[in-house]
Amino acid sequence: MLLSLNWLKDFITLELPVSELAHKLTMSGTEVDEIIEVGPEWDNVVTGEITDIAPHPNADKLRLTKVTTGEQTYSVVCGAPNIEVGQKIALACVGAELPGGLKIKKSKIRGELSEGMICSEIELEIGNDASGIMVLPPDTQIGLPIAQALQLNDTVLSLGVTPNRSDCFSVVGLAREISAVLDVPLQHSETTCTESGKSIDDVISVTIHDPDLCPRYTARFIDDITIAPSPLWMRRRLENSGIRSINNVVDITNYILLEWGQPLHAFDYRLIQDKAINVRRALHGETFVTLDDIERRPDTDVVMICDGKRAVALGGIMGGENSGISDTTTSVLLESAYFNPRSIGRSSNILKLKTESSERFKKGIDINGVIPALNRAASLVQQLAGGSIAEGIIDVYPSPLPSPDPIQISVEKTNKTIGISLSQNSIKDILGRLSITSEEIDADTIKAVPPTHRYDINAPIDLIEEVARINGYDAVPATNPYAKLTEIPVHTPFSLSNRLRDILTSCGLNEVVNYSFYAPDMIEALKLPESDDRAKPIHILNPLSASQSVMRTSIVPSLLANVRENIHNNCTNVKIFEISNTFLPNPEDKLPRETRRITGIITGLRFGELWNVEKQQADFYDVKGVVESLLHSLNITHYTCTCDSRELYLHPKNMLSLFIENTCIGCLGEVHPDVLEAFDIEQSAFVFDLDFELLSHYYVETPEYKPFSRQPAIYRDLALVVDDSVSSDTIYETIKKYKNKLLTEFHIFDSYQGKNIPAGKKSLAYRLKFQSDERTLTDNEVNKIHDKLLAFLGKEIGAELRN
Amino acid sequence: MKEELTTIRQTSLKEIEAVTSESELYQVKSRYLGRSGTITQIVKNLKNIPAEERSTIGKEANDLKKDLTAAIDNALQNIKQSKKLEHIEKPSIDVTLPGRKQLLGNKHPITLVTDQITQVFTTLGFEIVEGPEIELDFFNFEALNIPKDHPARDMHDTFYVTEEVMLRTHTSPVQIRTMQKTKPPLKIICPGKVYRCDSDVSHTPMFHQIEGLMVDTNITFGDLKGLLTIFIHTIFDENTALRFRPSFFPFTEPSAEVDIQCVMCRGAGCRVCSGTGWIEILGCGLVNPKVFANAGYNPDEITGLAFGLGVERTAMLKYGVNDIRLFFENDYRFLSQF
Repeated sequence: MLLSLNWLKDFITLELPVSELAHKLTMSGTEVDEIIEVGPEWDNVVTGEITDIAPHPNADKLRLTKVTTGEQTYSVVCGAPNIEVGQKIALACVGAELPGGLKIKKSKIRGELSEGMICSEIELEIGNDASGIMVLPPDTQIGLPIAQALQLNDTVLSLGVTPNRSDCFSVVGLAREISAVLDVPLQHSETTCTESGKSIDDVISVTIHDPDLCPRYTARFIDDITIAPSPLWMRRRLENSGIRSINNVVDITNYILLEWGQPLHAFDYRLIQDKAINVRRALHGETFVTLDDIERRPDTDVVMICDGKRAVALGGIMGGENSGISDTTTSVLLESAYFNPRSIGRSSNILKLKTESSERFKKGIDINGVIPALNRAASLVQQLAGGSIAEGIIDVYPSPLPSPDPIQISVEKTNKTIGISLSQNSIKDILGRLSITSEEIDADTIKAVPPTHRYDINAPIDLIEEVARINGYDAVPATNPYAKLTEIPVHTPFSLSNRLRDILTSCGLNEVVNYSFYAPDMIEALKLPESDDRAKPIHILNPLSASQSVMRTSIVPSLLANVRENIHNNCTNVKIFEISNTFLPNPEDKLPRETRRITGIITGLRFGELWNVEKQQADFYDVKGVVESLLHSLNITHYTCTCDSRELYLHPKNMLSLFIENTCIGCLGEVHPDVLEAFDIEQSAFVFDLDFELLSHYYVETPEYKPFSRQPAIYRDLALVVDDSVSSDTIYETIKKYKNKLLTEFHIFDSYQGKNIPAGKKSLAYRLKFQSDERTLTDNEVNKIHDKLLAFLGKEIGAELRN
Repeated sequence: MKEELTTIRQTSLKEIEAVTSESELYQVKSRYLGRSGTITQIVKNLKNIPAEERSTIGKEANDLKKDLTAAIDNALQNIKQSKKLEHIEKPSIDVTLPGRKQLLGNKHPITLVTDQITQVFTTLGFEIVEGPEIELDFFNFEALNIPKDHPARDMHDTFYVTEEVMLRTHTSPVQIRTMQKTKPPLKIICPGKVYRCDSDVSHTPMFHQIEGLMVDTNITFGDLKGLLTIFIHTIFDENTALRFRPSFFPFTEPSAEVDIQCVMCRGAGCRVCSGTGWIEILGCGLVNPKVFANAGYNPDEITGLAFGLGVERTAMLKYGVNDIRLFFENDYRFLSQF
């Protein structure tokens, strides 16, 4: 909302600097976004008089003029046809920068000196007349800045009015608010119309068929008018409020809308058929062309204004092209109505049409302000467009809305809620400033009745807020809340997510955050089978673009896209993870199933480029190692891995599914080359994707301490040769199966194939740790176990000792 | 015998002197003083020496043993010393070469700021609660006093899944869900992703919010000011000025917007604060009694305060990031800075 202070001053006497007014408005809830000074754009444009005109020696259409500003005379070359000696004009002097951006410089035009420019309305952007220079009234004083001479100077406040304050979407409404904030009186009087001639009842009859949509419809008729441009003062006020001037009658409807917050509509009376206005719901399948020449399709809850034969306006939203004001209009029917706010809000949404009118009706206007606004408009039409106002007024108001209910508030409750201590009188005084009438019921109770323009006040808390606001939030001392201590859980999904972030960042992965939606082909690229829920993402009805139209069912595509973008930016070593929710269809419930995933990807060099470390490409074991570290950190030890080719987006062999108690908690592996290709990635990448809830379920927050042996341990290395087909896991499980309680730990430390190892065989070397809880072991007994183990491995999996 | 000892003394001491390494020294030591060393053997064989000579030879052998031990110890010290000197003096490594860096990853700045904010409140006894990101109209709007076709809905550009189901536009629905299943008193903080159809330099269709709710008896607007002052001073610094400005949210009343003194210009006015010296940082208010009623609480018995803020906006101010979209591009050049 743009507020012209010149306009505001019609209703209130302002004695404080603009900056202070802006501060007080902001601090009382009407935020001032910007203070705009109107006037500087006409700096260096002054009033002057043409004292001499001579022909231009080198151009037929140009003339040489002398212009005096009183103190000084300028030579100005001018091409306008309408110049005459003695005219008072606007002279743009050297240094002026006109609103359109034109800079005035001293120059030679066809060889003749020109020290300025005599301006037209359009060059000054204060009117539409481009036919010649703007001629000022003969009594204009010369040598004055044009902004001063034409009273163009103004200050405009750009205001952020909150949606609850429908009453503040007008100059009068804001004047009322400012009068309350500053505690200064509001000056305004109601307009009375001078009526003559015909009776309105002979001109028009109005019927409201659906009073639920339109509770009140009023109208006046003005005959014998002349459509013309509006006077400068009105044009300036409209333009400064962000509305373009059209002609006097249309401007007046906009002027009243801005001044009173009451949207009006002006019909060209000649185009209204059968002397009738019918207010009714739109019919099934009805179409209507609005004055912007677009065909609209209202549904049956949209209110239509019709004449005897056809619709002439979308009630409260926009008029029709069949009945609007034109240059030839000679009589006008002015409508001032009240439409149901909910209905207008709904219609505006359905028709996808927001106008100054619909926005105001939707927020709610003052039903008692309908007639004063109509009278003010009619009398302005008479004043600016001539004509006569027909006798009488149409006011169809079938069932008057009840006046606002009184609200009782307690002084103590008010003070306790805010944290201040105002007396009953102070509270009543604040309410009075807001035109809320109040009376004392008892020492603690006030009965208050809000004015009809304050729709937002209908409960005690609304009044308490008004008291807090007008008294000032700054006046409330900051206190420490007193609140009871409560038990709160320490281990939550939030805290576990953070724990996982700690683990993964210490594994060298960077955290990323992607949008929860992406393009449908992102998920299609994963080659999921049709039966997979993830292949059926949830669609957004109104996405910003197709690339953000489905909710993520997997995080993997987002990370692949991140990898692609980073490679594109010459960063080829990427290790990232994301912990976010995915959204899966859920036929059993209205809401989808949201499951949190922990997903990561590794590609490029394992350690990056370091001077003292050989360049190594990251591989499968990097991603497996990250997952192992993660599970280890969560004290999850009892999981198993199987290469079951479960995820089609992974390499069918270089992948693993992880299980705990037969539940798959996630997968890891090399990204399938087809998928890499779909994402335009030309280097291998390795991902993991784990289910948060399952990890959270199996996670052991506090592991039990196991006493360790303080006896010396004996280590033995065991280098085995086995068939290629025997997996590391099989050997591992076989050693475990051997079950000797002195063999306490073992791990693989080498894997070798090549020279000295027969073809089709491989060598895996293990370090075994033997230790007793009670005593020192002897070499002999360890050797015995070692030999037996070797024999066992030979029998079970054909392992031989490497020599 | 005596001559033999003298010869041994001379050769052994000479050998010790010539030794250059610890291992050589131990070889010499073992040759003379070891289990089968020359001197050890002589001492062992003393009993075969005639009685009259025995004591003199014995004494001399022992003296030799003592001297030799001392000489060896001394030589050992010297060798160790020269080894240290050599290590210190030998050509040094180029210490200006970069170290073998441990490649740690970074948390996303949104995570970092979310953690800082939630931590302030968990320290004050708030519980972290999360809720679904796709919500029912009831939780996202109706229960929060934002009925259908109400102008207040215009404050939220909503992504819809069906007419009744939407991507939540704020984290406030978590408040309703929590109140529905928990009896007061209550202190919760709700971080999470929220969605609005909006995209430009300062808006992304997804962003993060943190909301707080405190329900008890006798909570005042002054308490709201007090709590949020503590919060702002902890997150920024204790000299950050703040102001509470009346505003409107359907779910709180009275409502306020909190501005902090611009962190860039310290209130002098700059591009970041559009010259006002103030930056809007959070919205807050006392819980609207209608919201309590919708959530099943008795508005006559309890009071509450609520507040909410955008994580990206806070992160932008804290780190000086000028384009909100950077948070979701996941560019290494951005991620590696936090």
